[in-house]
Amino acid sequence: MRRYVQTPGPIGEFSELALRQRAEPLDLVYVGYGLLVVAVVVASYMLGAFGWLPDDPQAMNVGLINAAPFTSGHVLGTDFLGRDLQARLILGIQAYFLPGLLAITISVVGGSILGILAGYRGGWFDTIITYFDNLLDSFPRLVLILLVIAAFKPDIYYVMVVVGITGMPVIANLIAGKIAFLRQKSFIEAAHALGLPAHTVILKHILWLNCRALLVIQATLGMAEAILVETSLSYLGFGVQEPTPSWGNMVQAGANYFLQGNFWPSTAPALAILATILGFQLLGDGLNNLLEGKRRR
Amino acid sequence: MDAPLLAIENLRTYFYSRAKRAFIRSVDGVSLGVARGETLGIVGESGSGKSVTALSAAGLVSAGPGVISGRIDLYSNGARRNLLDGLENYARITERDGRVMEVEKDERGWRKRSETLMAGVRGKEIAMIFQNPRSALNPYSTIGKQLVETIRLHTSLKGESEAKERAIHWLERVRIDSPRLRFDNFPFGMSGGMCQRAMIAMALSAEPSLLIADEPTTGLDVTIQSRIVDLLAQLKTETGITTLLISHDISVIQRLSDRIAVMYGGTVVETGRTAEVLAPEARVRHPYTTALLASIPSAETIRRKSYLQAIEGEVLDTIEVPRGCRFYGRCNRVTEAIRENCAGLEPPLGEVAPGHKVRCWLYPATGKA
Amino acid sequence: MKLAAIKPVSRVLARELGITALLLFGVSVVVFAILYLAPGDPLNVLLEGQSPRSELALGMREALGVPRTWYGQYAAWFGKMLQGNFGNSIRTGLPVLPELARVGVYTLTLTLGSLALTLLIAVPIAVHAAAHGGTAGNTAATLVAYVLSAVPVFWFGYIVVYVFIHQFGMFPLISGTAAKQEHAWLYFLVPIFVLGIASGTLSEMIRHLREELSRVLAEDYIRTARAKGAAVWRHAFKEGFLIPVTEIMSAKIPFLLGGAVIVEQVFNWPGMGRMAWQAAQDRDFPVIMGIALVAAAFVRLGNLLQRVVFTAVNPRASRE
Repeated sequence: MRRYVQTPGPIGEFSELALRQRAEPLDLVYVGYGLLVVAVVVASYMLGAFGWLPDDPQAMNVGLINAAPFTSGHVLGTDFLGRDLQARLILGIQAYFLPGLLAITISVVGGSILGILAGYRGGWFDTIITYFDNLLDSFPRLVLILLVIAAFKPDIYYVMVVVGITGMPVIANLIAGKIAFLRQKSFIEAAHALGLPAHTVILKHILWLNCRALLVIQATLGMAEAILVETSLSYLGFGVQEPTPSWGNMVQAGANYFLQGNFWPSTAPALAILATILGFQLLGDGLNNLLEGKRRR
Repeated sequence: MDAPLLAIENLRTYFYSRAKRAFIRSVDGVSLGVARGETLGIVGESGSGKSVTALSAAGLVSAGPGVISGRIDLYSNGARRNLLDGLENYARITERDGRVMEVEKDERGWRKRSETLMAGVRGKEIAMIFQNPRSALNPYSTIGKQLVETIRLHTSLKGESEAKERAIHWLERVRIDSPRLRFDNFPFGMSGGMCQRAMIAMALSAEPSLLIADEPTTGLDVTIQSRIVDLLAQLKTETGITTLLISHDISVIQRLSDRIAVMYGGTVVETGRTAEVLAPEARVRHPYTTALLASIPSAETIRRKSYLQAIEGEVLDTIEVPRGCRFYGRCNRVTEAIRENCAGLEPPLGEVAPGHKVRCWLYPATGKA
Repeated sequence: MKLAAIKPVSRVLARELGITALLLFGVSVVVFAILYLAPGDPLNVLLEGQSPRSELALGMREALGVPRTWYGQYAAWFGKMLQGNFGNSIRTGLPVLPELARVGVYTLTLTLGSLALTLLIAVPIAVHAAAHGGTAGNTAATLVAYVLSAVPVFWFGYIVVYVFIHQFGMFPLISGTAAKQEHAWLYFLVPIFVLGIASGTLSEMIRHLREELSRVLAEDYIRTARAKGAAVWRHAFKEGFLIPVTEIMSAKIPFLLGGAVIVEQVFNWPGMGRMAWQAAQDRDFPVIMGIALVAAAFVRLGNLLQRVVFTAVNPRASRE
């Protein structure tokens, strides 16, 4: 049984374009949660960078190992060496924050250049970018990263260059699609007819005025990817090494005690990963629904 | 009416608009009859409810919140069956002041019931052709396979080869050149007109009692449109099939139909014999029909170089139906004598001459109506 | 007389094969470039079996005829690979290719198994949702899908293991080789299940299949099929089921192979992923290079199969 209810009283004016009408409340919830996560991550990064932590993340307390949350001054409990989990979680953001920014910078800049070449110049540029896209899609990303690690060194910045490059084709395709759409509307021809130089058309009228929402959305989703890769690698032991904390190596370290029933030291960083990746993904998708109106239903 | 094949009585089809949280009254109390052997043309602007009437009759209204009420009686093999029989048990409708306020619907039960009612009717008794024939044919299957499927489903020809011969026979009858070659063609390699011919062949190959043609010329090039109309006219004389023809193009309706029903805002505003309703010298005519006729170019208007007339105003929003005549807001023939009625009271569909009914306060009914 | 219906399928297939070959060539160039740029001259290890240490060795190499230009090195490297010589593992000294074949079977079991398992779960849900247009459970399902795609696979693996130990009293951590134990199939199934559920494979599959099938069910030609009283699924099958299923299977292969690296680590599964981890740990680049090439070849093969199905099914594909 499903219920359909008529609005009592007269039906108000309806405007297709009004954002409020188009926005589903759920999208606002997504974006709200995403922004909250971003704020917490940025604030925690600052705290970690300046060393303003609730506790010394390296101070061991052998008398108080694997403590549950809310025990004597440790709001989130302690790990297997009795170190404060809250402080280590905050410090763990250092492991992916700047590398993640590097990755999304590479994919946004590189993707924009490729996308403009494909969309604006077209022709065989388009073919080459399609080829490049298929080529990068051929490698399981983690395997490609492990190859780079083996050939060079296990450095997170090398890894993030790979993540950035593999993220380029998606953005390139979206921008090329946007340019094709603008062409269809004779937008670009009109801009040229006004006598605007090519770089003004490309940088201002295409990238800034028409693609900024798209780029912000993709950067947000790219951050989620970067966090996923960093935590996976540090779980595998290729990222940040003990005793420096990262969420991945915290899960790994805690896992030894997991099977004894002590899941908190491993679950706390896992939940942090879950909540953060979820936040960036929901922010990206929510913004996409609101700004680009992509929802199909 | 003599020997009806299909009788629609007080049909109401409402949809629900999620965005506006309101019911759209696409078809709002339509009664129509199609007699055996005749062609009934339904004409009206888009949004008048003519296509939804046809889809309701074929049981193809699939939108979840769509509610249908009334009766659609199909007379076949000496029996009468109501194609909406029992559907009212699956939806509870709450009304207030003549407005639907709330609908509770068991969608799965409704769909099941509807499928049971339509089994053995769709395709077999009622066949349908649509607009935009290129998208209406399955692009993943050849024309031949689609025809053979219909023939094997609905006729006594069950064998592959005899069904194929019959399919080629039908492709010939709809004047498709080299039908044996076309048999193995996929729709995407064919022109729109060719696809519509194949659609017509497929519909007729089941030898149905009723053909519903829903905007059969829409989406085709203008020159192709007239060829399809010619084909439909020829097939009508050849096969004598009962047809329910839907079109926004009043010249198509004029050419092909014996009787006509003009729809506006989900209701029938005028109905009668085509020759009578559309006769140039007709004295009694609904203002909307007059406006529709004035909006098409005829040899006469072209010769006299007179302007074509567009119908002023917007198509009626069938969410908030006015209390008076639905056409009141756009009507240019309201006189002071009837203005009060037009604005506040919906006119009945009154009989002005035998078989000719008009829903307008200008023409007081002569019969009992 | 089927003249008008003859499709140049063979030509389309030749084109797809050509694209695949071109991409595999590109894959080898990418791998070569990484090795070429890497410090410590790994290419010479591959070509000769040892690193050049001194001027003496350099002179020796010239005498032996080892190429010095990059294209000469590429040609030599590529030629050796065509003969099946992927070099020897630095750690074990064993030839790479037979080792990969040995562990590859386990990874294939894991990835194809989880592909099959997720399809088994995803198809009924997606078909049901598309056919009944479910909206009530939609929001909840979307949220669950989001959460599943954000769950770290490695942690999810431990949860499942924990549940198995404490709820069922079993210990599925012994790896796929523990076939002697009771319920041996379960030990295989758990990692397969974890790989399929986590990293969003299942939810993306459901979403893709549901969206495609609902889109097709709303097409005009499906309405025609209903109007003529034909079975809707027969008409919707090709575009609404077969094509999207092969599409999502092909698209998910690289993700599953990447996920296998982590899942094999969690479950001690003796496959390529674990070997890749070990190789990266030891900087054993002949091994990791071989794995990257084999994985990429596997991805391209899946994609080629998808294109073959698409071409065979879609009459328009051959006329592009």
